[in-house]
Amino acid sequence: MIEIRELSVTYGGGVEAVKGVSVTLNRGELCGLAGESGSGKSTLLMSIPGLLPAGTEVSGRILLDGIDLLPLREEELNALRWRRVAIVPQGAMNSFTPVLTVGRHVEEVLDVHLGVTGRAARERTAELFAAAGLDASHADRYPHELSGGQKQRAAIALALACDPEWLLCDEPTTALDVVTQRGIVDALLGLVRSRGLGMLLVSHDLPLAASACSRLLIMKDGSLVEDGAPRDVVASPRSRHAAELVEALLDLEGGDSE
Amino acid sequence: MSYWARRVSGAALVLGMVLALNFALFRMMPGDPVTSVMDPDFSPEARERLRQVYGLDRPLYAQFALYVKSTLSFDFGVSFLTGRPVADELRSRVPNTAALLGTSLLLSASLGTWLGMKAALRRGSLLERCVLWSGALSFSFPSFFVQLVLLMALASALPLFPLRGSLSVPPPEGGWGFALDYVHHLALPVLSLTLLGFGGWAIYVRNLAVKVMGEDFILMARARGLPRRRILLGHVFRTMLPTLLTLLLMSLPGVVSGAVITETVFSLHGVGRFLLEAVTGHDYPAAGAAFFLLSLLTVACNLLADLLYSVVDPRVRLDRSAR
Amino acid sequence: MKGLARRWGFWCLVVLTIAAILGERLFAASPGDQVAAPFSKPIWLGRYLPPTMELRLTADSPSATLDWRYSPPSGLSLRVEGPAGETGRFVELVRPGSPPLRLAPVREGFAADGRDIAFKRSLGLPPFKDASAHLFPERGEYVLSLTDGPSFEGSVVVRLEGGRYGLLGTDQRGRDAAALFVTGIRVSLIVGLFAALLATLLGTSLGLAAGYLGGWVDAVLMRTVDLLLSIPLLPVLMALAALWGRGLWQLALILSVFSWMGTARTVRSLILSLRDAPYIEGLRGLGASSGYILRRHLLPETFPVLLATMTLGVPGAILSEAGLSFLGLSDPRVISWGRMLHEAHSFGAFAAGAWWLLIPPGTGISILCLAFLDVGKHLEETADPRLRRART
Repeated sequence: MIEIRELSVTYGGGVEAVKGVSVTLNRGELCGLAGESGSGKSTLLMSIPGLLPAGTEVSGRILLDGIDLLPLREEELNALRWRRVAIVPQGAMNSFTPVLTVGRHVEEVLDVHLGVTGRAARERTAELFAAAGLDASHADRYPHELSGGQKQRAAIALALACDPEWLLCDEPTTALDVVTQRGIVDALLGLVRSRGLGMLLVSHDLPLAASACSRLLIMKDGSLVEDGAPRDVVASPRSRHAAELVEALLDLEGGDSE
Repeated sequence: MSYWARRVSGAALVLGMVLALNFALFRMMPGDPVTSVMDPDFSPEARERLRQVYGLDRPLYAQFALYVKSTLSFDFGVSFLTGRPVADELRSRVPNTAALLGTSLLLSASLGTWLGMKAALRRGSLLERCVLWSGALSFSFPSFFVQLVLLMALASALPLFPLRGSLSVPPPEGGWGFALDYVHHLALPVLSLTLLGFGGWAIYVRNLAVKVMGEDFILMARARGLPRRRILLGHVFRTMLPTLLTLLLMSLPGVVSGAVITETVFSLHGVGRFLLEAVTGHDYPAAGAAFFLLSLLTVACNLLADLLYSVVDPRVRLDRSAR
Repeated sequence: MKGLARRWGFWCLVVLTIAAILGERLFAASPGDQVAAPFSKPIWLGRYLPPTMELRLTADSPSATLDWRYSPPSGLSLRVEGPAGETGRFVELVRPGSPPLRLAPVREGFAADGRDIAFKRSLGLPPFKDASAHLFPERGEYVLSLTDGPSFEGSVVVRLEGGRYGLLGTDQRGRDAAALFVTGIRVSLIVGLFAALLATLLGTSLGLAAGYLGGWVDAVLMRTVDLLLSIPLLPVLMALAALWGRGLWQLALILSVFSWMGTARTVRSLILSLRDAPYIEGLRGLGASSGYILRRHLLPETFPVLLATMTLGVPGAILSEAGLSFLGLSDPRVISWGRMLHEAHSFGAFAAGAWWLLIPPGTGISILCLAFLDVGKHLEETADPRLRRART
């Protein structure tokens, strides 16, 4: 269970990205978080494993099964990161170290967190790649040699390497074409469901979040404005403000897919 | 294939131009080469024979062909000044220059890299400001000035180091004594080159490290819970490595040019001072040979840099055309 | 321009330029003249050393008293100036505790030096030692006077060379180092500015040609740039300096021929990025000719950047000139900072411990370079406002 209590985040430049958000995420729940760009949804996601830039002011509490993460030191956080909370980064993000093969990234976390090395690590990598829908031979490729979709699948394999409890997905399908998006989302959901993981899927793509998740959160200007079953949220938003937002986001998506 | 063909042919072209330039340049030096070795009392016949020996009686293109042929087989002729084969003269000097430049480059590059990484990790610290300043100073202080000051302070005022030469005269007997004497003579030149060189490195490394540490993949490496040291070495530094290696190789020719000055200041027995003496003494076989060696080194470094880069940095595809 | 006044580099350059223009006019003697003993210390150093003194004895004031508080002078000379004829008078020296000693006759045209054998013999001194040490052996009161005799118009000049001179002492030839230092500014400034200007002009025109014409011109020029960049610079400069020119202008020319490549690349990429800019396309669509676009839009657009590149290129030229001069590849008659360091290194300044011959020219070069860098950075920031914002 991840409990977020009265979380506020102010960046070094004085921008208040998250304003007193409280929400509880349950294990085994597929939770979508939608909102416009700049609504604070990515900030909320990155604040969970403590990855906000230096000089950012954070107040409130983030509890992972009762442990407050905010006061933890970097080394203490490192024990939790990836072991319990893994991230599937933005597709557009330059998330692999360009001079290492993608397989090397997986082997590295296996070594660091689980102490698995050598042959065992390579076998495990091959399994993970297969699970994410990638041929095992891709493990020897460098990031720039993979297509956007392949890279994203590799990122999913990497995220699952240490059997985390939580998967935080930050716009995992942005910058991919619609067909590839569908494939990636299906693979991701399949894996999360079969392993019983908790997931927070951050996306500006409301239809995607609504169709993929069992619970939908909507943020606007740093505050949480909607929280409920996707059907309810889209059909009957609580406030006019949220209604406009839902409409706008749906319109945007409609415009995009034409 | 085509990438390497282009690279190699480019290098060959540069080398060819250097040879041509070399041939033209040193043939234009004041003082006919023959007159400079010759007694004015020589008979016209002797004069003519000497001209034949040096091939000066033949047409220019034949001279050039001969020059290219002999240069490429490292036969540089006989020095006008010492009367010994230039190749022998160079052979006794190359190890000294290599020791001087190799040690100082290694020291300044490693010291600079270390300080640069530290400075990048501690943004806004005193150390970072010192690194930025040392870099700015090393760009604007003439190397010979710094070296002269060191020489005056540490060899003349405080006689900790020898004032001149690569070895004591006469050199001490015995392996260890000899080695110690050599190192003692080399210490101050190496120290000075290290002092002059590390600042530039540190600034470069610092800027590069700051840039790399701001990249998404470093944030993701942190997200994976990797230990800080591992991120620094295995990801940040590993990403910088190709660029640093290229820089190291690309800086070699400049460093070699610096050998002329360093060896002059400390009166070392090396290729650089040999070049200076050859140029001022109108000893054109010698000057040409030294110049050719330096150019060869430059071209080889460029090629090697390309090769290493493509090995260390997988992003460089073999079809990379424009840097 | 207002920002420039706040830069230390700007004021530094102003001061140095004024000093360079005034040059030797700031000093009594020409910078090439010997003014004191070789390796004299600066005047503010070494209290026990005598400064250089010149005493003038005439028929009206026939004696001078010296309160000598120093070690012996390093040289002594004596000459009779002006119409004196054969006076029959003598120059006499009274040393503490010794009888008066006749130094020389007051005869028109007479001159003697402490190092002359004949002079020493006439005083009864051993021939291998300097007379001054024997004449001024210790501290005390010395009286130089003329013996009685007929009146005359001229004067007797007695010159005692000290071990201290001027603000920065003297070099191995006894020249005033301060005068040399000030004269040396000129060379650095001329070579630095001229080479940078020429390199910028060359780089701009070639860069313009490459960027604007494209095609084979571009290919050839860029290959040339690569070629020049991959030749070790200093040896080429050495050979060329030995070959063609030890003169200032030749040197500047040689330096500029090997330093235009950076500017050419910058200009070329600027032109390439501007060439396809929408407003240039628009101009072309309106029927503007290439020449017009180049003259009225591309050049003015690149000008601030060029000014900055030029200023930033000056230190390189200054350092190269200094390096070549230090290696002894400059005209020995031209006084420059590099030459001063060359002479300090080659002619025993180290053995004499004459650091005052080392520090001023070296610091001068560095300060001049830093000043140009400072001004250049300012110009760069003005040319590209993004830089300034990034820095603050």
